[in-house]
Amino acid sequence: MSEKTFLALFSDVNPAAEAIAQLREMGMKDEQMQVISGIPFTAPILGRPHPRTNVPRMAMGGALVGFLLAMFFAIGTPNLYPVYVGGQPLIPVPPSVIATFELTMLGMLLATFLGVFLDSRFPSYRPMEYVPAISDGKIGVLFRCTEEESSRWMDALQKLGAESVSPVEAVQL
Amino acid sequence: MEKTLTIPEYKADWAEGENGKWGMVIDMDLCTGCQACVAACAMENNISFVGEEDAGYGRTMHWIRIERFWEGTYPEIRMTPYQPILCQQCGHAPCEPVCPVFASVHSQAEQINLQVYNRCVGTRYCANNCPYQVRVFNWRDWPRPAPLENQLNPSVTVRRKGIMEKCTFCIQRIRQAEDVAKSEGREIRDGEVVPACAQACPADAIVFGRLDDPGSRVSQLANSPRGKKLLEELGTLPQVTYLLGG
Amino acid sequence: MAVAAKPLPHAHTHATEGPDPRESLMFDPRPRSLMNAWAMEAMHETSWKFWAVAAFLALIVLVFLVGAWAWMIMEGLGLAGVNRPAFWGVFLVNTVFWIGISHAGTFISAILRVLKVEFRRPFTRAAELMTAFGLIQAGFSILMHMGRVWLSYWLLPYPNQRQLWPNFHSPLTWDFLAITTYLLSSLMYLYLPLIPDLAMARDRSSGWRKRLYRILALGFRGTEGEWEHLRKAMTIFAFAIIPVMFSVHTIVSWDFAMATRPGWSSTIFGPYFVIGALHSGMAAVVVVLFFVRRMKHMKYFVRPEHFDALGKLMLVISMAWAYFFFNDYIVQWYGGDKWTRMLLEYHENGPLGWMWMLMLICNVAVPWLLLWNRRVRRTPWLMAIIGILINVGMWLERYVIVPISLTINRMPFTWRQYVPGIEIPLGIGTLALFILLYMLASRLIPLVPIWEVQEGQMVHSLERVGKTYVPVVKELE
Repeated sequence: MSEKTFLALFSDVNPAAEAIAQLREMGMKDEQMQVISGIPFTAPILGRPHPRTNVPRMAMGGALVGFLLAMFFAIGTPNLYPVYVGGQPLIPVPPSVIATFELTMLGMLLATFLGVFLDSRFPSYRPMEYVPAISDGKIGVLFRCTEEESSRWMDALQKLGAESVSPVEAVQL
Repeated sequence: MEKTLTIPEYKADWAEGENGKWGMVIDMDLCTGCQACVAACAMENNISFVGEEDAGYGRTMHWIRIERFWEGTYPEIRMTPYQPILCQQCGHAPCEPVCPVFASVHSQAEQINLQVYNRCVGTRYCANNCPYQVRVFNWRDWPRPAPLENQLNPSVTVRRKGIMEKCTFCIQRIRQAEDVAKSEGREIRDGEVVPACAQACPADAIVFGRLDDPGSRVSQLANSPRGKKLLEELGTLPQVTYLLGG
Repeated sequence: MAVAAKPLPHAHTHATEGPDPRESLMFDPRPRSLMNAWAMEAMHETSWKFWAVAAFLALIVLVFLVGAWAWMIMEGLGLAGVNRPAFWGVFLVNTVFWIGISHAGTFISAILRVLKVEFRRPFTRAAELMTAFGLIQAGFSILMHMGRVWLSYWLLPYPNQRQLWPNFHSPLTWDFLAITTYLLSSLMYLYLPLIPDLAMARDRSSGWRKRLYRILALGFRGTEGEWEHLRKAMTIFAFAIIPVMFSVHTIVSWDFAMATRPGWSSTIFGPYFVIGALHSGMAAVVVVLFFVRRMKHMKYFVRPEHFDALGKLMLVISMAWAYFFFNDYIVQWYGGDKWTRMLLEYHENGPLGWMWMLMLICNVAVPWLLLWNRRVRRTPWLMAIIGILINVGMWLERYVIVPISLTINRMPFTWRQYVPGIEIPLGIGTLALFILLYMLASRLIPLVPIWEVQEGQMVHSLERVGKTYVPVVKELE
């Protein structure tokens, strides 16, 4: 029993969401399906489980790293090599606030950026299931099933308004 | 008096009027405006000769300058006292905290402001922030046509373009006197350290010494009722006292 | 939640009052495939005139920026016009000017996104490109002003054999941290929403372009996970980059405010400079959009309604600038010490008093007299001229603040006027580089975020309320 990947293309979000609900009723599991689209649709709109993302956690972690770096610069370096200037204390509080703010924000934003890469597994240049019509605004529902089952799903999807339902191979993007 | 070598933690601890270590008194009533101090300073400290054009554009390299003002219009002119202005070696130097690379720092031992030539990257923030405008910048590498290079003082660095400089209270002479006194196992005597400007002044208007030694000539003169500090209201705690009004 | 805008007349009668909704981009949807094709065509379509201008700009950059800067490094800053007491001159003016321009990008793509202002959609990327390229010019300008620029890496905090660290007391160090943070954040914030458009370009390209876009698109397909990570990140960026933007120009203003100079030691410099940045930045966006519209198909995306909306923003910002300027001015005029009052006198009646007057005319009079008028706001070429005038006024404002204010200090013996030298060709070089980079970018990346435009068009509709149709915006987040 070989499993293949099929792609159903929709041009509007309402039939696509209906189709997903119908597929689920007909027994397909959420993990078997994947939705790709040219503009973002939130999980409630598509009727799909909410995708987990680590980006906010990475952001907090990055902020912490930035904060610790700022502490080192503002408090650590004057202790390593004390130089007195302008009658100000060795570790002045207001300038330390500034450095702390900037480096915390930098850490947070760098970590957010990195989080997108890590979570989405970017960059991935291996062949993947995709058709250029997606970036033209179509909504694609990818699902994996065996050859025998496929006709059942394909018929249902055609009735629900899919523009096309066909097997799709992994292609070099 | 016993003073530790570390500056107290907060500005408020430095009471106004407290003395640092090395200081200077300039008697404006005695100054004749002869500019011998300017020439002597240039000789002692290897200062470049900038030429007419640059000097006319405000790029003179005078570590000490004689400011000359007059009141009234010709022919009814009244001269005001000549005002020698040099680095005041402030206790709260505004030039120090703004240097991003720590090229302008406060000396713990001598209690004066140090300019570290080889660290300066030339942002010139220190010069902007100096209320006395005593800092000068090397805008170019000014040539020293032969045989002027024979006149260079080996105790003082020769600065290249892109570096800020200013009066150092002839720190090379201070250090030399300290070395000699240390090798002879004694304290520095009052009058032993004479910066170039004080040495050259024919009117003996410039007096230099240790302000924290109550017996020194400079600290007695600094307490004179004629004594004034320049731009005192800014709170820079200058180490130079001007005597005027006698 | 539906958001109702002002009511429009019935959609299929001739509108005698109010605009035809189809005049607005959000109510004039086209198939995504067509918009994609337009964006690609705008990138590919080029003429000999374009490359002639680019070659000319490249020549200017080579001679005025690279050549002049190399000469100045060899000869020293004596070639510039700086002296005592004006130790800072046009280099700092240009630095502040370029950082100011760069703030518009963040304002449009972050603040307008957070406030859900829909008209921002077609030009967020054009504005963000201004941020990136403007910051590069600011970086060059600040490096130029250094006496020993080959040692500028000493401002970096790195462990070294001399055990030295930079001075965190110094506003210039804060500047370095803030601008680095802002530059990196802006570049990341430019790139994240660009990824889906790069995927679109990848799908529609061949040859070297396809190779380039394939690499840059990172294999983006538009899966639910990818969109979720991207949108989460863009939300975090949008909210976080706003305080960063405020802090950057505030810290730049502190280069001046921390100093003890009369006229500089003003506590209002922080917000004054931020508003000034927005003033010049928004004006620059309008100028850029005027030229973007001349690209093929761009008249569909950037419409008079956008100039109208930006014009209203520019008027409000101009009023805010006037408020902060007057605040600073009257406090100094009324209760300032004698040096400050002498400085104000020098600003207005000195030999360069015309600059001060022209600054007020360009920054206040021009916007206040012209931007009230709806027809003026909806005329792109007129808005571009107003934008250029405002930028001239803001450049003059920085000139008044830096070299002119430095002329007057508490030691009158040192007062001397500043006359710019090699700073002028170097400044022209940075402007040429900015334009050149922008022109090259227009060939390489889609200037309009098509996916955001389609997203916007999807949520805009006309609904009947009472006797008429009103615009409705659905919130799909």
